[in-house]
Amino acid sequence: MTTTSVARPRRRARRTAVAWLFLAPFAVVFLVYTAIPTVAALGFSLTDLRGTDLKHPFAVDFTGLDNFVRLFQDDSFLRDILNTALFVAVGVPLTMAIGFALAVALNSGIRRLRGTFRTLFFAPVVTNVVAVALIWQYAFYADGTVNRGLDAVGLAGPNWLDDPNLAMPVVILLGVWRNFGTAMVLFLAGLQAIPDDVYEAASLDGAGKWRQLRHITLPLLLPTTLMVSVLLTVFYLQVFDEPYLLTDGGPLGSTESVALYTYHQFGAGEFGMSSAASFVMLVLVALVSLVQFRLLRPRT
Amino acid sequence: MPNLSRRGALKLTAGMAVLGTLGLTGCGREDGAAAAKSSASPVGDSPATGTVTVWAAQGDADVLDKVIKPFKSANPDVTVKFTLIPNADYYTKLQSAVAAGKGPDIAQFFPESQAQFLDPSILQPVPDGLVDPNSFFKSLWDAGVVDDVAYTVPWYAYTYALVYRSDLAKKAGVEAPATWDEMVPFFRALQSAGARHGLAADIGWDIFNGQDVAMYAWQAGGSLLSSGGKWTLDTPAMIDALKYNASFFTSGVADTATPTFLDAQPYFVSGKTATMITGPWVVGQLDTAAKKDGWTASHVATAPLPAGSSGSVSFSAGGSWGVLADSGNADASWKLVRHIAQPSTQVAQYKAYSSLPAVVSAWDDPAIKGQPLLGAFLTQLKNTRTFPQVSTWQQVATRIGKEMEAVARGTSTAEKAAAGIQSYADSLGTGAK
Repeated sequence: MTTTSVARPRRRARRTAVAWLFLAPFAVVFLVYTAIPTVAALGFSLTDLRGTDLKHPFAVDFTGLDNFVRLFQDDSFLRDILNTALFVAVGVPLTMAIGFALAVALNSGIRRLRGTFRTLFFAPVVTNVVAVALIWQYAFYADGTVNRGLDAVGLAGPNWLDDPNLAMPVVILLGVWRNFGTAMVLFLAGLQAIPDDVYEAASLDGAGKWRQLRHITLPLLLPTTLMVSVLLTVFYLQVFDEPYLLTDGGPLGSTESVALYTYHQFGAGEFGMSSAASFVMLVLVALVSLVQFRLLRPRT
Repeated sequence: MPNLSRRGALKLTAGMAVLGTLGLTGCGREDGAAAAKSSASPVGDSPATGTVTVWAAQGDADVLDKVIKPFKSANPDVTVKFTLIPNADYYTKLQSAVAAGKGPDIAQFFPESQAQFLDPSILQPVPDGLVDPNSFFKSLWDAGVVDDVAYTVPWYAYTYALVYRSDLAKKAGVEAPATWDEMVPFFRALQSAGARHGLAADIGWDIFNGQDVAMYAWQAGGSLLSSGGKWTLDTPAMIDALKYNASFFTSGVADTATPTFLDAQPYFVSGKTATMITGPWVVGQLDTAAKKDGWTASHVATAPLPAGSSGSVSFSAGGSWGVLADSGNADASWKLVRHIAQPSTQVAQYKAYSSLPAVVSAWDDPAIKGQPLLGAFLTQLKNTRTFPQVSTWQQVATRIGKEMEAVARGTSTAEKAAAGIQSYADSLGTGAK
């Protein structure tokens, strides 16, 4: 009896040690590349650290919340928060709607070609964003393919990427084009997890396609919808590649996102300001995700 | 296209350097870096020995290993190891290495954006008598000097001048503009001869455009920093510069939407644009863009920049070399830098990569003198200034570029923009803590 009572904690300790051993590679990487830089960035946001403090990153003055105050006094930062909100407000629902519509179409209609279409629609997700952005740039600039097409039908195309009112829709469109495939694949997986007999039972009870969608598909897809909306919201809140590559935030800052602002500050050597901006972004992402989880969690 | 790749290089800076040094550096303010020496001990003529590590940006340095063959032959006991880093990442990697104390012996810099490195804790002072400061274009040498101590030795040089379609100018019956007032009429004349736009404005609304406006402010008689080290940007000269630059767009001789950088030369060749304010490398690339040998000679001319009220001043830019404070083989490193600064090496570098010499006498070599289109650049190089040698200049120049966009698009006035630039620059200071 005594041996077993001693052996059990030992076995448990060994199991714990083995668990930690398996966790170690991730834990080390997470610690070195995420946790420590995050804490460091929080520290930097409270200082006047600049690119010129190369040799002595810790020999800087503690400035408290000065960077955050400067941030919210900076018109461009406030404009960029609105820009980012626009990315989220337009990009998320549009991406989800297209992804969902395609998923439903693939799930019900063209079953034989499902694999082919799924691959086709998913292609933008795995295509190199730099190459894609370059092609889009050439499609939408003054002498680009889009305007040549419009020219062919007698319409004068605008300077899409040079017009502060038109650049943003183009940048959002690129974001949607790059992400609807992800939404589609996730929705498709969710749809395929709904048992067919639920639909059969609903059909026997006289429910048409529309009612089935409203009362079976959408409620049962709620966890998937939550996941997709959180993923996309986080993506659009942190949107960087599209505006950076297409317009670098221009014209007149009309497409600069908070992430791009952070990058530009960083590039200017304003590490304190850049860190502060990245923390504001972190808080924004956390708050919005929290709200989404609360709103969309299944009520049991 | 050095300027284009440099755009990327300047966009990326050294934040990760600081992050990367976490745990490597002690906290708390130190007693200050070592006081700058007013001079460094001379370098002798004995053969160089040991290993010298050289970091440089891809581009002009691609051919350097071949160019310094005579040095390696004359110094058989020295090993020179080159590391070429993509332009876009160059300063980031260099600053990371500097911060971590793991840099090379010799590093390449860009005179127009090297101020943050000119510190005795980062670079060694150039030894007395290593080179003759007067042999270089003055502003390039001055770009490496802080508090009367030189930290870098110029390598290659460039500046901006007008590169225009001589065939269209001839057709329109106009000569290259010599003053600001002649600029827009000249561009209009080129348009009347068939060009869609008289000027191909190189637009990123960024640091490079900011530098252009700063150059115009000099031409208008302004300065950017007072002798007391205070920013002087809200001045009549800056306002004139902003208005002058905006006039290209408001008059319709340039477009805020053309051309994207990959199109700059094809547009010029096809006549969609007829003038570029650009560097000398373009001259050597237009035949390729036109897909026809000899096209440049019969279609292109160059001219110094038109003069404002204070003359035709431009900025100096290019490449330079410095030896890091942590170098373990400074003697051999300086000997290599000295070799690169010799006129014969500079000419060899020109022949290998078209890098224009920073040493004035090297321009007398027939290989360069025989290039008529380079004459305007030489004239301009003799009349250049250095951008402020303060660590916040890049940020200030970027802000000028942003404000300039608002003026060019008509959403702000030159006066408001100059005031905005001034208050931003004042909030930054000059980087001295």
